Amino acid sequence: MSRTEMIETRLREAFAPRELVVRDDSERHRGHAGFQEGGESHFHVVLRSEAFKGQSRIARHRAVHGALGPELVAAIHALSLDLGE
Amino acid sequence: MTDAKAQIEETVKANDVVLYMKGTKSMPQCGFSSRVAGVLNYMGVDFTDVNVLADDAIRQGIKDYSDWPTIPQLYVKGEFVGGCDIITEMTLSGELDQLFAENGVSFDKDAAEKIREANG
Repeated sequence: MSRTEMIETRLREAFAPRELVVRDDSERHRGHAGFQEGGESHFHVVLRSEAFKGQSRIARHRAVHGALGPELVAAIHALSLDLGE
Repeated sequence: MTDAKAQIEETVKANDVVLYMKGTKSMPQCGFSSRVAGVLNYMGVDFTDVNVLADDAIRQGIKDYSDWPTIPQLYVKGEFVGGCDIITEMTLSGELDQLFAENGVSFDKDAAEKIREANG
């Protein structure tokens, strides 16, 4: 399973999102620190879920980090999150 | 308490605004660190920069300290505020201005407005 698929699967399971976009931005970072040949190093995630209702920005981000798990978070060089209800 | 944790605690408590970043405020080494340092510089905020690339114990220690896996990390009056995404959102929404105002951190309100106009 690719990292993109792993991210999608874990976020769907954890948040039942009404909107989920997982974009591999690695190509845009070619030549920058952390770029890995084959991509899957830089991701941008847009996630809208009822689960975030009433949660602070930090709490939302922590919930996503938790759902992805420490190994996956550590393996990704850069993870940009756009989280909302 | 580890040395790194003690050192971090001392730094964030002794300085009103601290940015843990890759590189320095004058020479950032990562796009995300660069963005946050750029916002603070542009807003005229007097902040302390800590280059995590210069010290592996601090690089790991700051992640443990805040239970946050990424860098940059912004602290105001000892409290963790967020990373690049959160600081960007708070800049555009005006929440960052509010946070600075509440904590007696001086900043250039006009510059903050200009950032919002340019990204509105």
